[in-house]
Order: sequence, then structure tokens, then C-alpha cells
Amino acid sequence: MSAIGSGGALGAAEATPPPSGPFGQTERIRRSWSARSRQERLGLRLLLPVFGVVFVIATIPFILAVVRALTSDNGAFIGVDNFSRALGNPQLLESLKQTAIYGSVVLPSEILAGLGIALLVHRTVHSPVLRAIIYVAAMIPIVIPQVAMGVVFRLLYIPDYGLINALLGQTGHDQILWLSNSVLSIFAVASVDIWQWTPFVYLVMFAGLQTVPPESVEAAQLEGAGSWAQFRHIELHYLRPLLLLVIFFRLADVLRVFDHVYVLTGGGPGRTTEFLSLYLYRIAFRFFDLGQASALAVIVMAFMIALYTVISRFLPAETR
Amino acid sequence: MQRMKALAVFAASAMVLAACSAGNNTTASGGGSNVTLTIAAVQGVEDTGLKALAPMYTAKTGVKINIVEAPYADLYTKLVNAFQANDATYDLAMMDDPWMPKFGTMGALTPLEPLGIQKDTDIAQVVWDVGTWPPPRGPVPPSEKDKTKALLGVTIVGNVEMFMWRKDITPSGPASYDEVLSNAKAQNKSNFAGYIIRGKATNPVVADFLPILWSFGGDVFDENWNVVFDNANSLAAVKFLVDDLKAVAQADPASSDAAERDKAMATGQGYQSSTWPGEVNTAVLGPGSTVVGKVGFEPIPAGPSGKGVGMMGNWMLGIPKASKNQQAAADFIKWMLQKDTQMTYAQNGGIPSRTSVLKDSSLQAANPYFSVLADALQAPPNWRPRTDQWNNVETILGQELNKALAGQESADDVVKNASSQIRTLMKQAGYPTAQ
Amino acid sequence: MPLIVKRILVWAALTLTFVVFVFPLYYLVATSLKTKAELFQAVPTLYPHSPTLAPYGSVLFTRGFLQLLANSVIVGISATAIALVVAFAICYPITRLPVQRGTRNFVLNWALSLRFLPPIAVVIPYFTIVRTIGLYNQLPALVIVYTIFNLPLAIWMLKGFLEQIPAEVEEAALVDGGTRLQAFRHVLLPLASTGVLAAGVIVFAFDWAEFLFAFILTATPQSMTFPVGVQGLVTQFEIIWNDMAAGGVIAILIPLVMMLLARRYVLTGLTFGVIREK
Repeated sequence: MSAIGSGGALGAAEATPPPSGPFGQTERIRRSWSARSRQERLGLRLLLPVFGVVFVIATIPFILAVVRALTSDNGAFIGVDNFSRALGNPQLLESLKQTAIYGSVVLPSEILAGLGIALLVHRTVHSPVLRAIIYVAAMIPIVIPQVAMGVVFRLLYIPDYGLINALLGQTGHDQILWLSNSVLSIFAVASVDIWQWTPFVYLVMFAGLQTVPPESVEAAQLEGAGSWAQFRHIELHYLRPLLLLVIFFRLADVLRVFDHVYVLTGGGPGRTTEFLSLYLYRIAFRFFDLGQASALAVIVMAFMIALYTVISRFLPAETR
Repeated sequence: MQRMKALAVFAASAMVLAACSAGNNTTASGGGSNVTLTIAAVQGVEDTGLKALAPMYTAKTGVKINIVEAPYADLYTKLVNAFQANDATYDLAMMDDPWMPKFGTMGALTPLEPLGIQKDTDIAQVVWDVGTWPPPRGPVPPSEKDKTKALLGVTIVGNVEMFMWRKDITPSGPASYDEVLSNAKAQNKSNFAGYIIRGKATNPVVADFLPILWSFGGDVFDENWNVVFDNANSLAAVKFLVDDLKAVAQADPASSDAAERDKAMATGQGYQSSTWPGEVNTAVLGPGSTVVGKVGFEPIPAGPSGKGVGMMGNWMLGIPKASKNQQAAADFIKWMLQKDTQMTYAQNGGIPSRTSVLKDSSLQAANPYFSVLADALQAPPNWRPRTDQWNNVETILGQELNKALAGQESADDVVKNASSQIRTLMKQAGYPTAQ
Repeated sequence: MPLIVKRILVWAALTLTFVVFVFPLYYLVATSLKTKAELFQAVPTLYPHSPTLAPYGSVLFTRGFLQLLANSVIVGISATAIALVVAFAICYPITRLPVQRGTRNFVLNWALSLRFLPPIAVVIPYFTIVRTIGLYNQLPALVIVYTIFNLPLAIWMLKGFLEQIPAEVEEAALVDGGTRLQAFRHVLLPLASTGVLAAGVIVFAFDWAEFLFAFILTATPQSMTFPVGVQGLVTQFEIIWNDMAAGGVIAILIPLVMMLLARRYVLTGLTFGVIREK
């Protein structure tokens, strides 16, 4: 766990002088308990027990998963057998591939769309009433349960009865098999994610755009900069930390996706939309191969810790 | 701040409301005969009769019945979870017969004969056999060979797969799969599928495909658990489904489940298909159907092997060992098996298993397929391989068949991929699968 | 390109975007008001021809989802309340007391890293734990799991809100002769209350929406939550889309109302304080 402890964006650079905390104290070297200030002791007395309990409760599953991954179904210790089975299963690679495809469709789409809409609204819509309406409307998709999202889009995509196909049928077009074509099914589940989270990206980007000082923009325009140059040299600078934040969140959520895919396609057709979480689910709760599932869980958890360690270095300093 | 106060009030009142309604719904304790039986049932048409009968039982005996529904695959997961947790949640579990081996191997169910349930001859022998573990015939999983046979489940939905066709278009139904294909080609046009394939992964497409597989003389396993899914007969059957029938089927077989198949038939968009009895009155000939009186039923057509082999898909009731109401649960099962109850059951959309009830003339008009069903049960039909790995096997088969129906792979790939995965699976599970 | 054309294009694009986002929700509500007979027509309709609230009654009462609704509310509020208290107990020392940076960073990094953890990986061992301590199919199991799972989110949101409150405010109270506890109760807590409530709304929304844990750890309506029920309506044998849509609408309505009440602070919470409230 030490990889998490002092690394990441939260272990800030030493090049700048150590920042002062809210009470004016600066970075200290470790000192004995009695040498610490009364305030510090109070802080630790409150923090450590509470966090300690939480940490233990939250870490027990990790340990259990490791233990279960090292034992057979009867309880005998079998070493890395489950791990080799898990890693040797070609369906794991398939699932990872599909997850990567899904992520590479969803992430750029959400971010570009959210950014694009934010720019459009920022530059064209000036009425505060309209902006407020858009603001509230954009917050709605965030709180919709993913299961409900699956339901909403099921009504659109199912063949025969789904609305999109019905409209196609009305105009004389053939049915498009959104949920059972291998390419389209990924698009279908990706569209749910994009629909739900582009507004969030929009909100963040839009708020970021509000922090751009108008004088810089005016100055650039006076010098004849077009809207693209304006974006690149001024606005992007202010948006960069927010962009990184948004990418961080969305990447994490996209890799973990489960609920709406389960409702919409159940992993099909075949295994095209059987992303990592769904794959794990199938091994654990359809095949009930708990040894392999636990090994997979451990592997996934280890991978995620590594991924976090790498990615969090890019997080903006504001998240300290 | 006003808004925040509103929020707090909202949350508090929601909490109070929730607590009140939750309090009203907890099962009442106290009082000697205040037993509540919780039945885990499958959501869909199969538990229609059960749901209709439950209030009658409560009115008669005072025992309350609480039916908890879940979709097919989720029910399996929930039952295995509950059994692994050794939890007293369910007093009765509705099980599809292919799940019996897993539950039997887990030792999760209580033997029913000691609780007073007796076999009688008015119910076809195959019905008692399918609920017995280890199975009285066919290959037995190696770990189960030494167990004594016990009746662990009793059929409450006497499902055997049948064939249906539009008899107003062709008065006599196909006798063989060759006829099925030629009729399908003749009848197929836009908006009217020559054959409706139920192709969704995984249980649906396998359920639909196995009768075809067996009628062609193919199978998944032989007597010694060797995989024979890639032999010539099996390959011919797969080709028949994913090449021949697909060419004359509806636009989207890979995502069509029974609901879609039945709706297509009911709205006059399909000519023929296989079907389960439970779907007939509720979906095919149910509300909104435009083909009432126009659909004929018959046993599964014969394949090149000369035989038409129907598949049984009985839903059974079993009693989890962890239940705290064993005798009460057994009494309910006994009541469900009585002849008069079975008559009422049939009148309320249930599929009875008593031969006398199935052949009863007063029920024929509303249920034209009953006597076909009675004959099919006596045949006897085939059942799915009795292995605790069946769910995994079915997943493998189902995903490969579904891929082929979605156009992602060929019939040869299906038998090759499926067979090798199944071999690996069975060997891993300790079966003597040689090759 | 002449300005007027540009403007038309832009407004067209914005309108299209708006429609794209509003329409699926409209269709959900429309479907939830349709009669069963209307569902059997070969061509689906864009609006309910004879709207009825029957699907809602069917979902809540005939199918008994009212119990599931109650469960979701109870679990959501309990888990949120506990999570907020614990998160506060962790955030207060971190943001307002001179806790050493290493400790502080460890806690915060640990919390943030959990954002990457797929719940399914944790469900597998948790199922074993819940089984062993006999909490299978009991609401407390869900409360505990939800609390732990949303704690990192709560910690970061509270951190974002607390950091916006200047230290001088508390210091003034201390200088005036008050104890730290008094400063906490009378100065900090009122200032932080909006942030705490906003964090609570977001945590509740995520607890409400949670599906996987509830799905695996519960078996009967005694402890099943609403999303599990909604998923169960997506069935393979029956076409009950109006009930399914009604379930979806109810599932959306409750967190929606709460979010709308707290909307000024939701974005600040979700971005952990990076974006200040307008």
C-alpha cells in the first residue's frame, strides 16, 4: 500500500517551498509524540482510530480474495493454480480487448462532445436564464441510476418494438439490429454512457470557461486571433486541470462499467459487450468458479492500484 | 438555506414513510399457524399458475405464501447463492430441471419422500425420474455414483417442447425437419418469417436447438461423458440451424427470445417454430393475438435419424435443506399434486403433469395442446445432460450458437470452439472426458 | 461564412443536442403511461393514446415494489448518514488540524485510488463475509457495504467543501475564548452544513442507484432494493414495458428531486471542490 501512500499527485513536488497549512505550520520531520503540538495530537487521536477501523474493514476483502485465490474449492492450498487458470483463459483477453474498445469509444466522445457543447454555449448563449436552464438540465443525467438508463435505452434499441427501429420501419428502412450486431452493440452500450456523462463533462468545462479572464480574450481578439487560436492559447490553459480531472473520473468509471450493460445486453451478443466487470461476474456468479474469480479479482485490484499510481501523477495540484 | 431545509424535511419524511411501509410488510410473527412460505420463482409465464393458486392455498389452510420472482439466469444465481449461504430465506425453490444436477451435487435439497410425497402412476414416470438425483438413467457424474437415489424435486410445470405451425395456411404440420425447411422456404416472405428462431444467448438458443440436435442423431455427450458435439451428426444439426433455417428466419434471430418469438407468432409475422406449453395460452394465443384458432401443435418433427426427440424442460419445486418450514413446504407440494388442484391449476394457466388431467376433455378446447403434451411425456422425451456443469456447458454452447446466428462465425467454428471449451471444462471438473 | 448562417447552425446544433438528451427521458415517461393493449400493437406509438397510471400501481402494489422502495430509502439514508459522520471525523483533522502531510496524503490517496476499483472484484469476498456473519439477505449488510463503498467519495467531497471555509473563522472563535468543540459546533458546522448536505445528496444518489451488491447480497423483498426490482422487470418472456418504464421513472424521480433541491452545490461536490460554487 505504500505505493499509494506518498506517491501520486498528493505527494507534491519538493521544488517549491513546502506549503503552509491552514494554521501556518510548515512541513516537519517526524518527531516524537510528545513533541507534537497539542492540536496535532488531537487530530491524530481523532483520525487514526476512525480511519484505522475503516481501513481494516475495507482491506479485509482484499486479503480474503487473495486467500481464496490461493486455495482450491475444498480449502486446500494450491498456490498459483487459480492465477494461471485465470490468466490462461483466452476469454480474459477478449474481455480486456472489448473493454479497451469500449473505453476508446466512450472517453473521447464524451470529452470532445462535452467540451464542444460547453464552448458553443459559452460563446453563443448569453442569456442567464437559458444558461441556468441548461445547467439544471445537464445535472439530471448524473443522478439517474444506471439500471434505469439501461431501461431507457432498451426502449429505444430493441428490435421490433424499440423506438428507433419503429421509426426506421415507418420510413421504409430495414431494421437495424442494435443489440445483436457485434459492432452496433458496442455502440449501443457506449451511447448510454455518453448520453449520461457528456452533460457532466459539459458542466465542468463550462464552469472552467467561466474562469477565463475576459481581458485576455479581448486582448487576443484585438490581435486578430480566430476562435480556434483563442481556444488553443487561452481557454485551454485554464481548462487543462479540469480536463485532467474529468479524464481521471471518467476513465475510472468506464473501466468499472457494469449495471447498464448488464441490463441492456447482458454481455452479448456472444461476448462482445462482456467487459471486464461482466466477465468477472460470469466467472463468479454463473460458473461459480470462485477460485478463478478470486484470482481475477486480485489481479484486477493490483492492476487498478498500478494504474492509479501512474495516472494520479497527472492530476492537477488543486486536488491536493 | 431554505432549499437545504426543504431537502432535510424531504429526507426525513421519506425515512418515516419508508419505515412505516417496511413495518407493514415484515412477515408477521406470533400465532402458531402463522407460517409463511417463501417461494423463489422464475419470472415469466411459467409461474402464472403458481401465482394463481397461492391465494387459494392461503384461503384453505391459512399458510401465507410469498412468491419472489427473478428472471431465469438471475434465479439460478440467487438460488446457488442462497444455498451456499445455507440461508433459510427460501422454503421452496422453483427449479428448471437442468439445474437439478448442480443442486443435487451441492446437497442443497431435502429428499421429498420422507416428507410424505408419494409417486403415483397417474403422473408419467419420466416426471418422477427427472426429479430424482442421482439420475436413474443416462450417464451419472463420477462424484455422484455412490449416492442413493432420492426424489428431490416435483414437477409443477410439465413442459415438453413442442412444435407449432399456422394450420390455417397448411392444414397438416411437418413430419420431418426436411419438411420444416421446405415449408419455411415456401412460406417465407418479408414480414412473415418461414421459421422463427429463438436465438438469444444462452439458455434460449440452447433450449431451442437441442431437439434439432437430437433429432439429427447428434448429442453433446455420450454415455461416458466424452464430448460428441463435433461429430458428423451434430455438425449437420448446427449447419441446419445457422445456415438453412437462418436463411428463412426473422431478421434478428440472435436477440430473439421467447417473448419476441411468441409476439411474432401472435401478430401473424411468423409461420412456424418450436414452443413451450407455458407460452401458448399466455403469449402465442394470449391477449392481443390475431391467430387464435389458427395454430396447430404437434410433437417435435423427425430428423434424418428418423426420430423426433422432444426435450423436457420441467419446472420443479424443491425444498432447500436450510428452510425452517420443511413439512409445511412439503404439504404445499402435496396439495399442488392433487388431481382437483391440478384441474384448477390448468384452468388458471398452469401446465399440469397428471395424465388424467391432460387428457380431460373439458380442458381440451381452451388448451388444444394438452393431449399432445400427455403423449409427449409418455414417449418419453429426452432431458438435458445431467451434470452439475450443465450451466457452464449451456453458456458455452449458447454463446457459440448465438455468435453464429449473429453472423460472427460459421457452423464449423461453433462445433470446434464449443467442443474444445467443453472438454476443458469437464476435465477440470473431474469428469472422465477422454477427448 | 456569414454570421447569420453561423448562428443558425449553432442554434440548430444546440437544439438538436437538447432534443437528443431530452427525448429518451420523454419516451420513458410516455411508455410508463401506456396501457398493456397499446404495447401489443405492431408499431409502437410516440405518445400514449389513453394515458393511465395503472403501470405505476402495478409496479408499486401488485408487484410489491413499494417494499423495495422503502428498503432503498432506508438503506440509502442510513448509509449516507453514517458515511457522512465517518467522513467528517476523517476530514476534520485533515483539513483543519495540523496533521502530518504523510498521513494526510496516505488517507487521501487511499480514498482516491478506490475510485478505480470495480465493485465486482469486491463483491466476491464480501459475499463470503456476509454469509459467514449471517447477514445474507438482511438490510444491515447493505448499509455496511454501502457506507464503506461510498466513504472515499464522501471524504473527498467533504474535503472540498471544508477547504473552502477559511481557517480564520474558527481561529476567531478560539481567540474569543471558546473551546475547539464550541468553535466546531457553532462556527464550522453551520458553515459546512450546505456542503455536508450536498455531499449527502450525492452519496445518497449513488447508494440509491447501486445495483450489484444489492443484487448479490439479497434474495427476497425483505431486503431487495429498488434497482434490483427494476432489473427484474427486464424479462425475457413477457412484454411488460409499461411496468418497466414506470419502475424506471420512479427510480429516477427520487434522487432527481433531491438533487434539484441541492443543485447549487452538486457540481462543487462532484469535482471535490475544484470548481467553486457559482
